[in-house]
Amino acid sequence: MNLANMTDYHHFPIYSVMVLFLGAFIIAACGSKPSKDPKNPAGFRAWIALCATALSLFFLGSLVKPVMLEGEIISYWMGSRAIAGGYAIGIAMEVDALSLFFALLIATAVFVSAIYSIRYMVHDECVPQYYVLYCMLAGGVLGLVLSGDIFNMFIMVEILTFAAVALTSFRTKVYGALEAAFKYLVVGCMGSTAILTGVIMLYAQYHTLNLAQLANLIPGTMNNATKLAFAFLYIGFSTKAFIVPFHPLAADAHGAAPASISVLISGVLTKSGIYGIIRLTYFLFQTMNLGSMQFMLVFIGSISMFVCVTMALAQHDFKRLLAYHSISQIGYVLAAVGLSTSLGISAGLYHAMNHTLFKGLLFLAAGAVLHETGTTDLGKLGGLSKKMPHTTVLFLIGAFSISGVPPFNGFASKWMIYQATYQKAVESNNIGFLLVTVIALVTSTLTLASFVKVSQSVFFGQMPKEYENVKEVPFGMRLAMGILACLCIVTGLFPKTVTGVLTEPAARAVANVGEYITAMGFKSNLPAPNVTFAQVGVWEPINWLLILCIALLALTIVAVAGKYDRVSERTEDDTVDTKYQLFYGGEKNVYSQVGGGDLFWGFKHNWRHYFDFMHNLHSGIVNDYALWAVVALALAIVYMMIVL
Amino acid sequence: MTANIFLNGLQYLGYILIFPGFLFCFLCGMLLVGIDRKLVARMQKRVGPPILQPFYDFFKLCGKETIVPAAAERTTFLVAPIVGLAALVVIQLFIPIHGFTAFSGMADIIVILYLLLIPALAAILGAAASGSPYAGIGLSREMVTIIACELPLVLVLLAVAKTVGNALGTGLCFSMSEIAEYQLQNGSLITKLSMIPAAIAFAMVIPGETGSHPFDTAEAETEICEGMHAEYSGAPLAVFKLSHAVKVLTLTSLFVALFFGGIGTGIIAFDGVIVFALCVVATALFISFVHAVTARLKIEQVFKYYWTVVSGLALVSLVLAWYGM
Repeated sequence: MNLANMTDYHHFPIYSVMVLFLGAFIIAACGSKPSKDPKNPAGFRAWIALCATALSLFFLGSLVKPVMLEGEIISYWMGSRAIAGGYAIGIAMEVDALSLFFALLIATAVFVSAIYSIRYMVHDECVPQYYVLYCMLAGGVLGLVLSGDIFNMFIMVEILTFAAVALTSFRTKVYGALEAAFKYLVVGCMGSTAILTGVIMLYAQYHTLNLAQLANLIPGTMNNATKLAFAFLYIGFSTKAFIVPFHPLAADAHGAAPASISVLISGVLTKSGIYGIIRLTYFLFQTMNLGSMQFMLVFIGSISMFVCVTMALAQHDFKRLLAYHSISQIGYVLAAVGLSTSLGISAGLYHAMNHTLFKGLLFLAAGAVLHETGTTDLGKLGGLSKKMPHTTVLFLIGAFSISGVPPFNGFASKWMIYQATYQKAVESNNIGFLLVTVIALVTSTLTLASFVKVSQSVFFGQMPKEYENVKEVPFGMRLAMGILACLCIVTGLFPKTVTGVLTEPAARAVANVGEYITAMGFKSNLPAPNVTFAQVGVWEPINWLLILCIALLALTIVAVAGKYDRVSERTEDDTVDTKYQLFYGGEKNVYSQVGGGDLFWGFKHNWRHYFDFMHNLHSGIVNDYALWAVVALALAIVYMMIVL
Repeated sequence: MTANIFLNGLQYLGYILIFPGFLFCFLCGMLLVGIDRKLVARMQKRVGPPILQPFYDFFKLCGKETIVPAAAERTTFLVAPIVGLAALVVIQLFIPIHGFTAFSGMADIIVILYLLLIPALAAILGAAASGSPYAGIGLSREMVTIIACELPLVLVLLAVAKTVGNALGTGLCFSMSEIAEYQLQNGSLITKLSMIPAAIAFAMVIPGETGSHPFDTAEAETEICEGMHAEYSGAPLAVFKLSHAVKVLTLTSLFVALFFGGIGTGIIAFDGVIVFALCVVATALFISFVHAVTARLKIEQVFKYYWTVVSGLALVSLVLAWYGM
């Protein structure tokens, strides 16, 4: 093979997966002796991981032009084995705009989190092994979304599940880490087994594992066995996305895992589940034109959205709170994707991307707080903004984004979701979809409430004495957060560019299953659909920002001219002056901050029966959660049998 | 060409700074608050302050010493009021006055709903940055009030979008200027049967959003010392007071634009006066009168009230609009 051949972009998908696995093997081969540098216990092995993730991102980034903009679908047969006797024999990768979209998200999150890990993991033991697992996890997820073969998808699911379980319990000394990993292992394995069962049932019938060929064969020949396989596969990928009823696992896993791994679990693993569900419903079984399937996805999405945001309101641990928000946002994605309209899919994917960015940022900020203070308990923290100003600003950007405050990216995508659901309601004349719009709008406000709680109890409010010596986190960690924060702002300010370059090609790919099948060399008579992305709403973030800046500038000039900034500053010999102390209404100066969990008493009081019910339901016992998984599988089977 | 761009720029600058931007917001908002205070006083058989009292208060506060508590995060504490005010004034630019909108085609009703969060959020962050426990309780209550008002507001706006969309034949209409245009052609939306409950619901949201009696639990000067403003003094406090005045103007003029559009002459100066007069009426009815006859609710009662009574009204409207009535 000559060089020109090797640098052909058709090889890039396999390269991007390969560098990550190669990275893992090289790091493992380099032994586990910690380096002498206290700032980087993994030594050069951390740089290997960073290079691997950077290369992977580079390979995928260079595919944007051919796949996203020119609409090419890359089909790649390993070892040049292609179709023989009408059946796909070899292992294939197939990269359409949908795969590439998810792959780009994953590669970005993995790269940023690798930057963060270097300075974040300094206090841990066995850090070289951490990077081995890290690269395995990244490679597994990337392989999953780029694969053109359902059995390979299963293998990648196995790799990523086991790497994720091991990384969840990486800090074995953290309370609950092993328990969380065990729960994840049990339910995750049930999910993996469900996927394997589904794959077996499909292979037995169609004698092929190739996604494109299955997509070509299944829709015309639906029988009870395919429906059963569908139910198994759906539940399997649901466990990977942690959507209801698998959400408690996410909370435990995120609470215990290092923050850099939480980024991967929430930004990357859940996306792989969503990707799997889209591939199943839109491509393999092509059932999304049925109202019943739309109902199922939108219903589960809305339930996830609302249940998890209320669960988050009841949390008093920073990372567990973020974990529930993660599933709540995945609910948005699922509900939008389930609408089965082009605008809905585009909006859902946009939100999936934004979720990776802002949730990654928030988890990294939580990690920064944990790194410096040693706790994520909202009741114990407070007033850190004076000690960690940069982290505070970065956290606020993430919080505004997830809460859908204009002009950040969360607003741009949620805004499209509101329109998509309402348009769907009008088009299908079904008032149920209108309810989804309302739930989405209210959930957004509840999300804001929850992040007001975090900012008040962690970054603002009163500072407990033990955090007097807290310092800002090292530059490497701030850099990682800064990259994500910039991406949050940019993707929020240029929604048209983002949708034009990334999500609309992906949504077109979802609508155009025929092309996916023919690109792999099979004959399909599915017509190319007519795709439009018309929106009713208008939102021009750049113009709005421009006007706001002019208004701010005018106001600042007036304020400065009017001596607004002439503040009475406290001087050194002035400490006895009571006017600079907080007002306590004559009470003793005590630490009297309202605890994190109780901040929204007015809201929770009215919903107390609901919260009591949810509290009892989430018992934290793995047997219960396994039972939920079985019940969900049974329900899915019954539902598929009835409606398909 | 260059002169044209220059003139356009000057025109837009005029919109932002004078009408319907800062100067208009400042004068009209303060006047509304002054009228409100006078009316409440008269209803309670007091003499009340002069109508220009809010102006006097504002300038007096600007001259006072500004104290930043030692426990506060200085930058956020000082910047928050300014950002909140600027964001509010920008919203005012998107609300049509009769047929005229300073900046149309930039934000629609749902976006305006979310832009309204920014001033509230600025106030909350400023309060959080002060480090005061009173502010902590105040911001918690403010946030719950926002959640409480959000559901009815969303339902009202969706109902309006559906009603206008039905009439225009598109099924949906989010654009503020199209809603104004529709009302110019077909008369105010309030004349539609389905919009009456929505208008009542919106009217009930106004005191909640502006933090006026009986929904002023977040300020509650008698219990938690003005809550979020507990540690503010001098010019920043003056800016907060101004923001409150502008918010009264924004919400009442949004109410007028949504339900009483299409009343006017087509001459911008007169229309401004007419809209302001309607705002005064709305303030008198929904803020002053309600203020005078009610006592403060507890926060959980505020929440319950909005999510049951007011949301119920809005929902009736939405269902009626859905079935084309």
